[in-house]
Amino acid sequence: MRTLEYLSDPVLRSIYLPGIGVGALAALACGIVSPAVVVKRLGFVGQGISHSAFGGIGVASLLAAWGLIETGGRAEFAVVVAFCAAAAWGMGVVGGAAAGRRSGSEDTAIGVFLVASMALGAILVQVAREHALASGRAGDVRSWESILFGSVSVTGMEEVRLCAAVAGLVALSAWAFRRPGLFWAADEEAARAFGVPTRAVRAGLMLALALVVVTTMKVAGVVLSTALLVLPGATALRVSDRLATVWGLSVAVGLAGIGAGFVVSFETGWQPGPSIVAALVAMYAAALAVGKR
Amino acid sequence: MGQTAASAAKTRGESGPLAILCEGVSFTYPGADAPALENVTLRVPTGERLGILGPNGGGKSTLLSLILGLQGGHTGRIEVLGMSPGRARAAGTIAYVAQRTGLERAMPLSVRQAVTLGAAWREPPWRGAGAEARARVEAALDLVGAGALAERPIGKLSGGELQRALIARALAARPRILLLDEPAVGIDVAGQRLLAELLERIRAGMGVTTVVVSHDLRAIAAGSDRVACLARRLHSHVSPAGLTPQVLAEVFSHDVAGLVGLEGRGVHVHAHEAGGAGGTGGGGCAQCHDDADGARGPEGGAV
Repeated sequence: MRTLEYLSDPVLRSIYLPGIGVGALAALACGIVSPAVVVKRLGFVGQGISHSAFGGIGVASLLAAWGLIETGGRAEFAVVVAFCAAAAWGMGVVGGAAAGRRSGSEDTAIGVFLVASMALGAILVQVAREHALASGRAGDVRSWESILFGSVSVTGMEEVRLCAAVAGLVALSAWAFRRPGLFWAADEEAARAFGVPTRAVRAGLMLALALVVVTTMKVAGVVLSTALLVLPGATALRVSDRLATVWGLSVAVGLAGIGAGFVVSFETGWQPGPSIVAALVAMYAAALAVGKR
Repeated sequence: MGQTAASAAKTRGESGPLAILCEGVSFTYPGADAPALENVTLRVPTGERLGILGPNGGGKSTLLSLILGLQGGHTGRIEVLGMSPGRARAAGTIAYVAQRTGLERAMPLSVRQAVTLGAAWREPPWRGAGAEARARVEAALDLVGAGALAERPIGKLSGGELQRALIARALAARPRILLLDEPAVGIDVAGQRLLAELLERIRAGMGVTTVVVSHDLRAIAAGSDRVACLARRLHSHVSPAGLTPQVLAEVFSHDVAGLVGLEGRGVHVHAHEAGGAGGTGGGGCAQCHDDADGARGPEGGAV
């Protein structure tokens, strides 16, 4: 069992344990918002936000190449979250305006922001890399592979603390706003008529999505972080139609996916990100086969 | 504002305070060529059950949106229990049962949990739904006859059961006014009869003013004290007893009139009180001709 070797060896453990911790905390945060994402059919929004992280990373890379922030630090995290939140807001505003003019739809707005952010990220990362090479700081720019698929080697205790703060904030917000949030998720039109501040609830969920996406991409990568937002909730909703069970299962499925993904990664040498997603997809397939709904 | 509405009602000789007052309300959606509502005046006394009947696209849901304060940009005056619509909504005095397309049936909520959201969503997070809120939930479930459904997932209810659950959710908030938008969509005739009985129970048990809008006359007729006809303009009112087959044919000919372009020429077909002034006999309608001539009907086009 290579897994036991990884976890018992002090050097390997010090490399992988923070990554596992970040993954577990990200699964907790994703598991909390995932059922709402699925019920409200916000999977594509989640994908749009996660891909907008490319643009955020591009901006952060440029700032790092200029020596203004450190790669992998809190400042980079804040820049990427701010970029994702701004993109999420833009998707909502442009999408809503387009739908109001009947000249487009929210889906179109998400698609536009998604590709624009990816293009911006690609250009800025290249510019940053050239600038960093010229100034002898090549190590300050992220590799495309780590952006796409994540990398446990870039995670340390700093990231664990950051992710714990994010997961705690998401859990606290979900608890504090559970009633208006559930009302909004169940019946947005009626919730608005009852006086629920539905725009604020939606904006809060978008911010939570931006936070968990940026948290998750450390381990799972930008492309695959969408899976952690969608699959735990989708799996839980296939199995149960009880509120507490669905939310508990969603978190449990996310944690199990992280655990199983790392085990597969240790045993096979595959990247943790794709392995985690493969484990989550397997659980969803099992839920499809045996689920009651 | 409340005093203004109340005193105005008194001046008109209406008994009791007004639950809803719309005066000269017009509304046009941005970019639309024609107004969705035109000079609508509507007075609903407290405790009344008003049905608003009209063709699809006649402005019924728009009127509800304006009364709820969900839509701005209208001209004219709207008051709900003497307050602005937004304030009345924020105060929880007005509840709404939407067309059920808005409900996410995948949401893992039991009927009791869904109804509790209506009663307790304003409670602070550190407090559970209190005994008073729980009692309101149980009372609302009992009133609509959904007590046996309380633990069922909302996604597994039939159309009629879901309708009762949504009405219970609205009633659990203890509103003074209940608005129902197309409550009979997807419900069979027997279900519509139950809905009418339910509306009567709600009035008898809670004294709630109800406004039901529908394009389906059967849904309106059985559960209303008064029926108004809305097709962009609010034309007239009729007691349910006056809804003879002939009147029905005339009301629904609004659709036909719209299709053949008669609406644009100022020709409208009205429903009138049974036995009232003519117009239902197919020989012409005094109010129609008044409208076409630019004059007002006996109530100035108001209901």
